[in-house]
Amino acid sequence: MLASMYIYLPIAEISMHIAIIIGLGGGVGFLSGLFGVGGGFLMTPLLIFLGVPPAVAVATEANQIVASSVSGVLAHMRRGNVDFKMGGILLIGGVIGSSLGVMLFTFLREVGQIDLVIKLSYVVFLGIIGFLMLLESVRAIMRTRQPGARRRKLHQHNWLHGLPLKMRFRRSKLYISALLPLGIGAFVGVLAAIMGVGGGFIMVPAMIYLLGMPTSVVVGTSLFQIIFVTANVTFLQSVQTQTVDFMLAGLLLLGAVIGAQFGTRASVLLRGEQLRGLLALMVLTVCIKLAFDLAIRPDDLFSVELLK
Amino acid sequence: MIHAHRVILGLLLLIGMTGFATADSGRIVADLSKSNVSITSGFHGTDLLLFGAVDGDIGDDILVVVSGPPTDVAQRRKANRAGIWINVETNIWQQIPSLYSVLATNQIEQITSPEVLAELGIGTQNIGLKIVPETPMPGQAPPIAADFIAALQTNMANIDLWSNEIGKVKLTQNALFRAEVKLPANIVSGTYDVRVLQFRNGVAISEDRTNLYIKKGGLSAGIYNFAHDYSALYGIFAILFAVASGWLAAAVFRRK
Repeated sequence: MLASMYIYLPIAEISMHIAIIIGLGGGVGFLSGLFGVGGGFLMTPLLIFLGVPPAVAVATEANQIVASSVSGVLAHMRRGNVDFKMGGILLIGGVIGSSLGVMLFTFLREVGQIDLVIKLSYVVFLGIIGFLMLLESVRAIMRTRQPGARRRKLHQHNWLHGLPLKMRFRRSKLYISALLPLGIGAFVGVLAAIMGVGGGFIMVPAMIYLLGMPTSVVVGTSLFQIIFVTANVTFLQSVQTQTVDFMLAGLLLLGAVIGAQFGTRASVLLRGEQLRGLLALMVLTVCIKLAFDLAIRPDDLFSVELLK
Repeated sequence: MIHAHRVILGLLLLIGMTGFATADSGRIVADLSKSNVSITSGFHGTDLLLFGAVDGDIGDDILVVVSGPPTDVAQRRKANRAGIWINVETNIWQQIPSLYSVLATNQIEQITSPEVLAELGIGTQNIGLKIVPETPMPGQAPPIAADFIAALQTNMANIDLWSNEIGKVKLTQNALFRAEVKLPANIVSGTYDVRVLQFRNGVAISEDRTNLYIKKGGLSAGIYNFAHDYSALYGIFAILFAVASGWLAAAVFRRK
């Protein structure tokens, strides 16, 4: 009976307990709904820790994020919190970036350095983003406790706003160059493909601090464009590396879509800056754990991988 | 029992052998409780019964070698560079057994000598492991062969594919023997080779071989073949499924 609780994953080619997969999906799904991020930055490292080959973890997670983002974005669409025009520009950049990312991924896999690049990317980006977010949310919380303090301007003007191809984004109340969201989309797309994430943890702060979008539309718009970027990664990985494990993705998303619904509800209970502070702490925890693993001498300096 | 006929066949052979075999030339016959194993969705490794009959004397030993379909294995060595541990050397082992386990009635040293084992090609040290270094990365020395070979056994044992321990073969009345062959959950599909040898005074006097066929089956085979044969369609299907289930979940939860 106990043996039947295990499921053999046909692409990962390992056997895993079904409760672990669904539980993992549910837990990460809850957090993704709560913070409005894809949850991939937690799921991909966890899958790798559980023995799923890194290439399969990254590609499969992209497929699963498609589902949780669709599920999440619908709630935001009902509240009118999606800027489709901005999302459209971001996703054009995202599709270009993620296509390049999959090519880079395939190359790194062949030279045997994909694990290192995945982990290093996590350490660098989670570290920077986590630290900046923590700083910002601490400041925001301090400001709300000083009633006399003046509110910061929505966004500062700098050289980025002097770029050509200016466009009006009504929902975001912005008049900025389309090159800016295009570039951000492309950059996050590359990372999405290599790290097996939707890129929400970079996209959300980039939208707030670089584009100056109002916080209310940031999460919905981010989820909207993540759907297309991760769908693109799923397709390209399926064709190029055959590393998308449909069985694993299906079970993860079973847990994740349910978890995300509860997470989205719970997010109403917390204030924006508290939410960002919590997310920052979680991002930093994953970052420190991965940095530690890279710096500590492994028990066995040798490792093997069966080639097909 | 499904395999009762095989046991009966074995017994008949045994009766035949005791009648005709001469005193010091042994004979051995072996079979598996199952010669086809399907890796289906519920697969979590399995144990097979290897059994057989031997025309044996007191003091005879039986040694079983199970080896999986040859496969290429990349072995990498990490070193500290600028404070982090990264892969610096790679060796690709070409066509080495994807599974290797030895089972015996006794400790190997008491059965035969290392020279005989080498001659018979038994044991991972005797399967002709050869280093074929990949082009070394710039500024790096080629891999040191001995270090890689020594670590390979440990690495493969850590992923349950090469056994570190000698499994047990039970011999009854110097005539019937049985052994449990363990197949881990991560075995590779293909044809497995099972060698069964009879040793007397350190010399292999008879040998039988049997095959074991492992293939993906059921839903897991369906998904694997779909992913490899129609990969673009597979990708589109995976995306559509994800979109549909995400939408469905949101719809279900909205109604509540």
